[in-house]
Amino acid sequence: MTTQTQALETVPSYPSPLKEFWQSFSHNKGAVVALSLFLVTVCCALFAGWLAPHDPIEQYREHMLTPPSWADGGMSTYLLGTDELGRDILSRLIYGARISLFIAFMSVIMSFIPGVVLGLLAAFYQKHLSPVIMRLMDIMLALPSILLAICIITILGPGLVNTMIAIAIGTLPSYTRLTRAAAMAEINKEYVTASRVAGAGTLRLMFLTVLPNCMAPLIVNATLGFSSAILEVAALGFLGLGVQPPTAEWGTMLSAARDYIERAPWVVTMPGLTILVTVLSINLMGDGLRDALDPKLKRAA
Amino acid sequence: MSLLKIRNLRVEFGSKAHPFPAVDGLDFEIDRGELVGIVGESGSGKSVTMMALMGLIDAPGRVTADELVFDGHDLLKLSPNQRRKIVGKDISMIFQDALTSLNPSYTVGFQIKESLKVHLGLRGAELEKRALELLELVEIPAAKSRLDAYPHQLSGGMNQRVMIAVAIACNPKLLIADEPTTALDVTIQAQIMDLLGRLQQEHNMGLIMITHDLAVIAEMASRICVMYAGQVVEQAPVAGLFDAPRHPYTQALLAAIPEHSKGANRLSALPGIVPGHYDRPKGCLLSPRCRYAQDRCRSERPALLDGVRCFTPLNAEGNPTHG
Amino acid sequence: MANDLLVARDLTRHYEVSRGFLKGHAVVKALNGVSFTLRAKQTLAVVGESGCGKSTLARQLTMIEPATAGVLNIEGVDVARADAATVKAMRAKVQMVFQNPYASLNPRKTIQSTLDEPLYINTALSAGERRDKIDAIVAKVGLRPEHVRRYPHMFSGGQRQRIAIARAMILNPRIVVADEPVSALDVSIQAQILNLFMDLQDEFETGYVFISHNLSVVEHVADDLLVMYLGAAVEYGEKSTIYARPLHPYTQALMSATPAIREEDRRIKIKITGELPSPLNPPSGCSFHKRCPYAVERCKQEVPQLREIDGRQVACHRVEEINA
Repeated sequence: MTTQTQALETVPSYPSPLKEFWQSFSHNKGAVVALSLFLVTVCCALFAGWLAPHDPIEQYREHMLTPPSWADGGMSTYLLGTDELGRDILSRLIYGARISLFIAFMSVIMSFIPGVVLGLLAAFYQKHLSPVIMRLMDIMLALPSILLAICIITILGPGLVNTMIAIAIGTLPSYTRLTRAAAMAEINKEYVTASRVAGAGTLRLMFLTVLPNCMAPLIVNATLGFSSAILEVAALGFLGLGVQPPTAEWGTMLSAARDYIERAPWVVTMPGLTILVTVLSINLMGDGLRDALDPKLKRAA
Repeated sequence: MSLLKIRNLRVEFGSKAHPFPAVDGLDFEIDRGELVGIVGESGSGKSVTMMALMGLIDAPGRVTADELVFDGHDLLKLSPNQRRKIVGKDISMIFQDALTSLNPSYTVGFQIKESLKVHLGLRGAELEKRALELLELVEIPAAKSRLDAYPHQLSGGMNQRVMIAVAIACNPKLLIADEPTTALDVTIQAQIMDLLGRLQQEHNMGLIMITHDLAVIAEMASRICVMYAGQVVEQAPVAGLFDAPRHPYTQALLAAIPEHSKGANRLSALPGIVPGHYDRPKGCLLSPRCRYAQDRCRSERPALLDGVRCFTPLNAEGNPTHG
Repeated sequence: MANDLLVARDLTRHYEVSRGFLKGHAVVKALNGVSFTLRAKQTLAVVGESGCGKSTLARQLTMIEPATAGVLNIEGVDVARADAATVKAMRAKVQMVFQNPYASLNPRKTIQSTLDEPLYINTALSAGERRDKIDAIVAKVGLRPEHVRRYPHMFSGGQRQRIAIARAMILNPRIVVADEPVSALDVSIQAQILNLFMDLQDEFETGYVFISHNLSVVEHVADDLLVMYLGAAVEYGEKSTIYARPLHPYTQALMSATPAIREEDRRIKIKITGELPSPLNPPSGCSFHKRCPYAVERCKQEVPQLREIDGRQVACHRVEEINA
């Protein structure tokens, strides 16, 4: 066999995809800083019990509205001061991270999974299912997400789980549209036909063949959805529709502090800044992710 | 004086510490009325050369040359404004995939007129007349109605004709055709080849034809440059090159073509692949794959001498001589 | 016949295309009654330009789509309009190599995963047995087994095509449909891959349906030749017979249009003008009549049937007069 005697071909060695991704991602210094900030927030959420100096709902009546420790009248026991009921703001922020991140994460999952499945169904059954699914999504997109969330919570009642459902329903259509568009672009490619010729059924084609190639825009969307979910949790909390007191949550902290903006600005500023920094860091991370995933996608294609 | 003269063109990509020379010391000349073919496979640097000529290589690519002169203008020293006056007017280029090279959002007529407006300053009725003339020159049937068509409404062959029309709109002195027929069906390819040949002769243009299809070159060009891994390895008149190739790569390329193995059971194949960024040999770039390679070939780089870049160019019988 | 791997008779495939809201449907006649036979260890080359139906034919042969009419017998089983169970059982017998080595491998899967898929779906082998088969086929196509853990973008075009061939051969199919397998490759790599094809055919006695527009490649690999135009066969027979003396005007035009390096190989150019017609609106009568230099009134009205002339089949009314 003449081809056997030819030298077996060499392939230059390449780094693994994960390493390649990290190399691209770490080029963007802003994204790396954002990632570290986000990891700090995650740590706060996970280890709140050990990190927080005080119990978040304990009221220290002798020290109501204490300024932060660097201002006059501040005390080192309450690093960021206390609120109108004497609760330590720092501890409330740390425990609040747990709520915000948890709700945001769960709502992203609850919209990602059904959204992607609906999008794949719409792409694979274009003639029959696609019109129905997409019109449904259009209807959902026609309503502003906050209003939609408010309506749902009014119907279901306030609370943790219902907040998650409300936010999830608002973001579901975007995942469906993204997935459908990406899947439709991939379906006609030769490697999908090759899998069909190898005998792959529709389920396998949907989840194992096509979906991994659609992940890049979905991951970016999920990251950005995460940050907007945090904002929505805060907004709902501010409106009194989300998490109920005395649970520490950044939005409710803002709402309760409305009356104290002039007297005790730190009660408003601290939760506000925390929301700002968290959302900003997630967005920067998302941008970095998009830039890192795109070139690889181009090269892989 | 030649229309275009290139000496020692070098185009590098990548970091300064470890650059990748896509074009590695290219010499090339062409006159008005000449049809020269540049033949090479992927990684040979043929397209990059032409992009460098047109000023289309952006940072981080770096273009250097001892001489890069077109029609008396030193292309290396031109400002972007000056370059714009020449490129598109006196030097023009057509590409492989007409559908992606034409702007899908504008009609075909608009794109032809754009070139005429910018370079020749034509307006109004004269502009319309010239645009129609051009479409008829490239043999598009029902030219008048086609002026308002969009690229996606026309077939591949017609789009290619439109691209040729845009390219010759301002009567260029030099036309560069980068794989103009590779994406076309063979009967359409024959029509386009005829068209290009005819236009070249009628307008006395210099035509550089870049392709990997040796047969197309054999039927059209008067002279051929064979490129490998960024260098010219052989330059000769067409007849001479095909009858008696002097560089082992040309010989191997010709041997690999099915036409040359009629009746043989297996094709003669050149083992291995073109060197990329990380595996460039110290000596002659073909040495890892060349069956005649000797020690000198593996340690020294041969220069282009008398149209061949080889220490042991092949003689008329196809065997290596010595120096 | 006992040795027939594949018998196609009057294979037809029409598509319904919506013309828009309330405007009804148009019919695209992609394939119009194509018939041919393929035997073991034999290569049938299908030649034609865009719109001739060769891609549709490939999809029919690999059972991706059912036929609108006609018979497609693979080793005695008619799969033209078979149910899902029959198709699944026959999958392992027909495999395909695609044109674009940069698009036919899943960019998100390692080579191992890509090669494992057909085995996982169609056989009951254990993971270890599958791994052995993968190593064996990878070595056979000229790559190192340790490379299977890499991703497609790390390989060159020629290497990817080798992987695609390995994927097609891993189930040891009786028939391989190769859709322009070397068109996207450089000449020197083309030669390597064509040699590989022929070696594998010798070893496994596979039948190939080799779709290509490159007549010089076809001349080298084919045993039989089927020339198609707008969904129908215009000439069909043994390669050597047709190349020595092509009878149909379209075949003659194709061969004359193919550029050749040596003067002696060049044929007199038959000028055919015009563009390939759209399969949505095919010409009446003989579909080639609008571009044929020999067309007469009869060609516009009557569809020519394939008939046996001079050792092959030709579909042309005037074939005897033209080639007198």
